[in-house]
Amino acid sequence: MKCRFVAYLATLWTVLTLNFFLPRLLPGDPLAALLDPESSEYVFDAEVRAALEAYYGLDRPLLQQYAAYLKGAVTGDLGRSIRLNEPVSELIGSHLPWTLLLTGTALGLASLIGVLGGAEAAWKCGSLADRLLTAASVVASNIPVYFVGMMLLIILGAELQWLPLAGGRTPFARYDSPLAAAADIGKHLILPALTLALALLGSKFLLVRNNMVGVLGEDFMLVARAKGLPPLRLKWGHALRNALLPFVAHLAAHAGMAITGAVFIETLFNYPGMGRLIFEAVGARDYPVIQGVFLIVATVVLSANLLADWLNERLDPRLEERVG
Amino acid sequence: MRATSRSAQRAGVTPLRLASALGTDAFLGSIALAFFVLVALFAPLLAPYDPHQFVGQPLEHPGPDHRLGANDTGQDILSELIYGTRISLAVGLGAAVGTMALGVLVGSVAGYAGGWLDDLLMRIVDVMMTLPRLPLLILLAAYLGSGLIQTMVIISLLFWPATARVIRAQVQSLRQRGYVKMARNFGGSPGYVLARHILPQIGPLIAFGLVTAAGRAVAMEAGLAFLGLGDPTAKSWGLMMRFALNLPGLLLTDRWLWWLLPPGLCITLLILALTFVGMGLERHLQPRLKRR
Amino acid sequence: MNEPLLSVHDLYVHFPSSDGETGAVVRAVDGISFDLAADEALAIVGETGSGKTTIGRALLGLHPPGSVRGSIRLAGRELADLAEEEWRPLRWRRVAMAVQGVGTAFDPVYNIGDQIAEPMREHLGFLPDEARAKAEALAQRVGLEARHLCAYPHQLSDGEKQRAMLAMALSCAPEILIADEPTSGQDVLSRARLITLLRQVRQETGLSLILISHDLAAAAQLAERVAVLYNGKLVEVGAAKDVLQRPRHPYTWGLLNAYPNMTTARDLRGIRGRSPDSSDPPPGCRFHPRCTQAVELCRQAEPPLTEVEGRLIACHLGGLQILLQAHDLRKTFSTNGHRLRRVVQPGKYWRRQEEQAVEAVRDASLEIYEGEVVAVVGETGSGKTTLGRLLVGLLEADGGRVVFEGRGLAAVDGRQRKELRRRIQFIAQDPFDAISPRLTVAEIVREPLDVQGIGTAEERQARVQEALSAVSLPNNAGFLSRRSHELSGGQLQRVAIARALVLDPKLIVADEPVSMLDASEQAKVINLLKEIQNERGMGLLLISHDLALVRKVADRILVMRQGEIVEGGPASYIVAQPQHEYTRSLVQAAPSFSWEQTVN
Repeated sequence: MKCRFVAYLATLWTVLTLNFFLPRLLPGDPLAALLDPESSEYVFDAEVRAALEAYYGLDRPLLQQYAAYLKGAVTGDLGRSIRLNEPVSELIGSHLPWTLLLTGTALGLASLIGVLGGAEAAWKCGSLADRLLTAASVVASNIPVYFVGMMLLIILGAELQWLPLAGGRTPFARYDSPLAAAADIGKHLILPALTLALALLGSKFLLVRNNMVGVLGEDFMLVARAKGLPPLRLKWGHALRNALLPFVAHLAAHAGMAITGAVFIETLFNYPGMGRLIFEAVGARDYPVIQGVFLIVATVVLSANLLADWLNERLDPRLEERVG
Repeated sequence: MRATSRSAQRAGVTPLRLASALGTDAFLGSIALAFFVLVALFAPLLAPYDPHQFVGQPLEHPGPDHRLGANDTGQDILSELIYGTRISLAVGLGAAVGTMALGVLVGSVAGYAGGWLDDLLMRIVDVMMTLPRLPLLILLAAYLGSGLIQTMVIISLLFWPATARVIRAQVQSLRQRGYVKMARNFGGSPGYVLARHILPQIGPLIAFGLVTAAGRAVAMEAGLAFLGLGDPTAKSWGLMMRFALNLPGLLLTDRWLWWLLPPGLCITLLILALTFVGMGLERHLQPRLKRR
Repeated sequence: MNEPLLSVHDLYVHFPSSDGETGAVVRAVDGISFDLAADEALAIVGETGSGKTTIGRALLGLHPPGSVRGSIRLAGRELADLAEEEWRPLRWRRVAMAVQGVGTAFDPVYNIGDQIAEPMREHLGFLPDEARAKAEALAQRVGLEARHLCAYPHQLSDGEKQRAMLAMALSCAPEILIADEPTSGQDVLSRARLITLLRQVRQETGLSLILISHDLAAAAQLAERVAVLYNGKLVEVGAAKDVLQRPRHPYTWGLLNAYPNMTTARDLRGIRGRSPDSSDPPPGCRFHPRCTQAVELCRQAEPPLTEVEGRLIACHLGGLQILLQAHDLRKTFSTNGHRLRRVVQPGKYWRRQEEQAVEAVRDASLEIYEGEVVAVVGETGSGKTTLGRLLVGLLEADGGRVVFEGRGLAAVDGRQRKELRRRIQFIAQDPFDAISPRLTVAEIVREPLDVQGIGTAEERQARVQEALSAVSLPNNAGFLSRRSHELSGGQLQRVAIARALVLDPKLIVADEPVSMLDASEQAKVINLLKEIQNERGMGLLLISHDLALVRKVADRILVMRQGEIVEGGPASYIVAQPQHEYTRSLVQAAPSFSWEQTVN
């Protein structure tokens, strides 16, 4: 575990450094362009320009810039948004919870359905239901997430008008109680979360199903059946308990994928999360925001990986270093 | 899906034999892929209009002149769709080649050299694989600007680590083979050994990698265009979707049916075609990899 | 004991073949029947693919529905057609199994104690503490400690896991324990410990044991009865002692010859032919393609299990055939031909005696079975050579009978005698003597064919070449035209063997076939003989004075002294535990590299 933590810190440091050097090394020198009156990127607002100069410090030696940058990252100073003239950390602070809500719900939903469905399909391996579900999963995991989102939006939002078309909550709404607020947020959450869950579902279903089929073929499953154990215990207690072990690692590895999907979803559904934030920032070439979002997202994903590794060690007795 | 290649050879390669040899999914995939390639090649002949020309009424409904109607600036959607095939395939292929080139280069050097070079390269690969893709991609796109070449480069930069890993594993196992050791004994330089013995052996693996990388690249390119990070002058399917969605109230009319849906369908079909062909190749590869 | 505890009748287990070929069916078990009484141990032995594990699993109902046909009665209750839910309460409670492959038999995510306790909680309704206590008691019984119970499967050695599996199997006090290959893959000490443990458990609990194994020695130590399984069918069933010491079925015989053990110094012999394919069994008797005594009937009809001498055998011929039998043979020589000088009084050497009759062979009786190598050892003058010639018919006996393949040698007329000559052949000690110096190799080897008038000239040529290559001699024109005086002793003896083989005999009597050759030639020729014998299923009577040599090839040894057979029995016993003092002196005097032997 310890060496994983060290690797984690190393990767985090790499992210920070990458974030720092990338704009300064790329052709076209995008940062300098912000302050160059000749370029098309020139920032006209003097106040914003001053803040940018202070944050980036392009006239100072590189090492000092780096130090200042690192200090800023640790203390939470990520500069100011060019477009909105607000501190980046505040912007992130207001957008991050929405993304977490969306991805969390979607991952949870996809995992639940994937695990339950995959377990059942594996149990009835080879049956018509199994083959159909597997084929459907393969197809589903290849359909681009934005396409799924579009179709759902059109069918459930526009045509049938069951669910709202955009936003995190009804604009300018005032709520009588927290419950009403939650209901409204929930209503707006359904489509985006459903879409993202559908996009993530395929790979989870296939993973659980294939793992479980492998486990079901193991000798100890035959022994368990020979012991006269009831089917429920065989399925959940023995088979799934083993089949889920690689699932945790998979979840971690695909946390990144979830974020990717979230970007598309938030753009499509106009959902006020980090994806939307970075999308708008890109359109406006708002570098501080882009960098800030990248940094935070990378940190979140890395932490999720670390957590998953730790969890994996806890769950699989073969990985523990206990002396028998 | 049993391989009946021998019977196929004997009886002549009829479509049915080919289908059973490759597997139904791969067979269908290759047909679809061939279709797309043909459309891309013969786009000028197939498309009724030049997609950049304003030939119709803005948002004109589908009719005999414009089978899929016109977009908000009056350009023919069907022509856009047909020419879009070129963009998607070009970027898909270009990015796939880029991914494989980088992946094979790094992977074979790491797998063959071993030692500190291998460690260093793999460390880089590990770090790159941990980073979340899309934000990095967006970051790069923001800095590098838009354009088809940039798109291909960015996608390659994102997908090469996974390829490098796979190639490295294969090269490592090949390095232990008798004939490789003999070649080294004769005094062959690493470059010679790699080029003459190792790379030809991983040829099928590279082919498989190209197809799967192309599939992912097509998806990513469309996604980038969809996000507005693609080349605004290149009429790709993703860009069509972006412009369609930009139209306020698009979903409340039925315009989405002929403007939003067709490009989305095409992207999906192309990706599926590439994936299925890839799966067929993988099945073909499996026993050979095991035998080796 | 009236009703047996377990009664299996006409059990068939067929699966669809797993390699994708539609329609091909693996007939893992193809119609077997056996009984098991309470407190009895039955060993089901056979090689891989014979179907033994399939039987074990069928007794627990673990096969997919529809693949099992037949009857399985446990204490009178029919089990074969039970549904999965009906099987569940019976499993482990009445019939438990210790599976093969202990490495993967435990769930890796639970500790051993939990897994031992699990069936108790399910079937006996124990509470967690009760189950834990009982698990600890079981662990103790099999020699495990409490700390093993807390461990996970990957932390235990294979031997410990084997014992844990036994504890788990005994947890619900079943009536029948099926042990599937409990000793395979283990080192000899663990194996011995496990066998002792199983015996103890049987003694303490009185449960019935079904041992499924290819380990014949374990079967001998654990079981009272043995059932031999070949390609899904039972071929021999009987008391363990009988079946394993004196097998009657050709397959059992072959199996025992192939089994390495400390008892015999004999080299291992495989069974000729190829292992069977369960999806495509041969017609008629399953074993007939590999059986050396197969007849036409064997190709056509499957032999049922019938009772022969207290055991069940599936063979149309009733088991291994007796090739040759001799009853009370007697041969006396007169000394008129100066054959024997006898010292009657000391000091009067070289005095020719008159009409001294010497009984060269006295009351000799023996049997040679199909495929068996019987050696007759003794000093010079013991009568073994005479015996050999009597058996072949080169000499006429003064008393007693020789019966070959059911027909008396003496009673045959001219034509039948010629026929007989084909099937018994003789190889003499001195090849230079037995082979005419004037003939070429081709003529020598062809002679029997010429005499018998078999085949055309080309056919004879072909058989000559075949015989020569069988003895590892060149069969080109150059060699065929060599004269016998151009060949070495070893080569010539091989030619003699080729000559004996060319008629495709069923029995060869070899009189000191290698004693005139150098050691390395000896080894090669004797191995050659053995190989040919095994391949063709011939009987071989090997006459020799060299006990050490004979020990390597013989199945049984007969010791002759002054015309009498003083001792006879399985080769390993004769050498290891000679009963007769003469045998003992022979054994002691046999060449050995023991440096402590004093010269007496």
